[in-house]
Amino acid sequence: MNRAAILWRVASILVAGSFVAAWQLIADLRLVSPVFLPGPDRAWAALVRGFSSGDLAGKLIGTLEHMAYGWLAASIAGIALGALIGSSKVMRAYVAPSLEFLRPLPVSAIIPVAIAMLGLTQGMALFVIAFGAIWPIMLATIHGFAAVEPRLYEVARSLQMSRAAIIGKIALPSALPDILAGMRLSLTVALILSVVCEILAGLDGLGQWVLLSARAFRSADLFAGVILLGATGYVTSIAVSLVEQRLLAWQTAAR
Amino acid sequence: MSVVARLDEARAARRQKTLIAFNAATLRLGGKTIIENLDLQVRPGEFLCIVGASGCGKTTALRLAAGLYRPTSGSVTFDGEPVTAPRREVAIVFQDYGKALLPWRTAAGNISLALEAARVPARERGARIEALLRKVGLPGHAGKYPTEMSGGMQQRLQIARCLAQEPSTLLMDEPFGALDAMTRQGLQDEVLSLTQASQTTVVFVTHDLDEAIYLGDRVIGLLPHPGRIGIELDIDLPRPRDQLATREHPEFLRLRRQLFDFIKATEH
Repeated sequence: MNRAAILWRVASILVAGSFVAAWQLIADLRLVSPVFLPGPDRAWAALVRGFSSGDLAGKLIGTLEHMAYGWLAASIAGIALGALIGSSKVMRAYVAPSLEFLRPLPVSAIIPVAIAMLGLTQGMALFVIAFGAIWPIMLATIHGFAAVEPRLYEVARSLQMSRAAIIGKIALPSALPDILAGMRLSLTVALILSVVCEILAGLDGLGQWVLLSARAFRSADLFAGVILLGATGYVTSIAVSLVEQRLLAWQTAAR
Repeated sequence: MSVVARLDEARAARRQKTLIAFNAATLRLGGKTIIENLDLQVRPGEFLCIVGASGCGKTTALRLAAGLYRPTSGSVTFDGEPVTAPRREVAIVFQDYGKALLPWRTAAGNISLALEAARVPARERGARIEALLRKVGLPGHAGKYPTEMSGGMQQRLQIARCLAQEPSTLLMDEPFGALDAMTRQGLQDEVLSLTQASQTTVVFVTHDLDEAIYLGDRVIGLLPHPGRIGIELDIDLPRPRDQLATREHPEFLRLRRQLFDFIKATEH
């Protein structure tokens, strides 16, 4: 890291620190009632208390599980369907209009449908999260497969590569930047829907913790849950970015 | 019979044989006739250059020979068999090396693609890749990505990948069209020495008339709309060719004039 990069990093930490300081100030001056707004000190204490009693860790694991299973299911199905649709011009022409109708559908609207069909179960949560998270992945995969350089297919033909080899060695690596970008986007969607499902279906997780804390006016616990959710989104997104950088090292090689 | 006479006879016999034959080949694409009634024979071991004004169908003719297109009527045969799909003994060097190479694979990985397709065992690939890189003048660049290489180096890499197929025939589509003059001349000589030594048959499409005469045993000029043969020149310049001596040869200049006049007459 060079000097300029270090300075920018220091500046960004200072900004974040001043937000926390402002929050502390507002809480200490009682500009907002402490019933609704705890200071960062109380929120932090609640966080530590939650983890030492083991309650919060269990909720965190619950949310991470919902998110991971839903996201993985969405990734597998999204890449498979996207590859199928994207690699065929005919399929794209047939299926694209239906996708355009389904894609902007708010996922929250299908939650009642999912609850009616699957009940207040983990299966319902998995279905809803996967359904919401599949779109960015599938659409990115379709785009990635449709945008493969046609010349590369001719190279593959002249080398008489098998269909499986063409998908594995030409189409998939060519579409990988798009696919990974889609997977990073859908990670956020998976987190949001995990919380929504936990709140609506009372499933074990941070969503439920946040809801119950709010109902009991335990604002410090509520904020501890919110902070933990923010951290979850941040850390998972960074993890995926790191994998992305690793897999796409060839893109930055020339620059 | 002397050895020389016997060699001459063998050469003459080979010249008469045909490796690739276009028999009244016609190609229509989207209602347009690109190539009409093309009759053309490529002899084994020969270096055939195809020239012509842009849009005359020279690239299309090459794609027919490659099996990337199939004729609407007539036929294209390779070694007596109809060409229905690309075959491994025929390698294609595309003009746009930037698009024909896999950007996510290193130089070694790109050559490996051809070896993998030919089911060369993994433990043999390393040595083969190294030898091929040395052959095209890229030793020590195995770990570089195409985007880290110059245009000339990328085209060399594509040629190496084609040679990895161990082809009997090379089809080259304006391979040096996008390169600067110096790089181009260096690559011309390298392609000549690579293909002459191994008796590889080459069909070389170019719009550079000097290049065609410099490289070829024979040059064919196509007429446009629809593409058909307009001129055929046997190039009896001594080999090995030399960038200075060959290009100053009176016969070179005569052929150059003849070919220029032909192309000029087709351009209206």
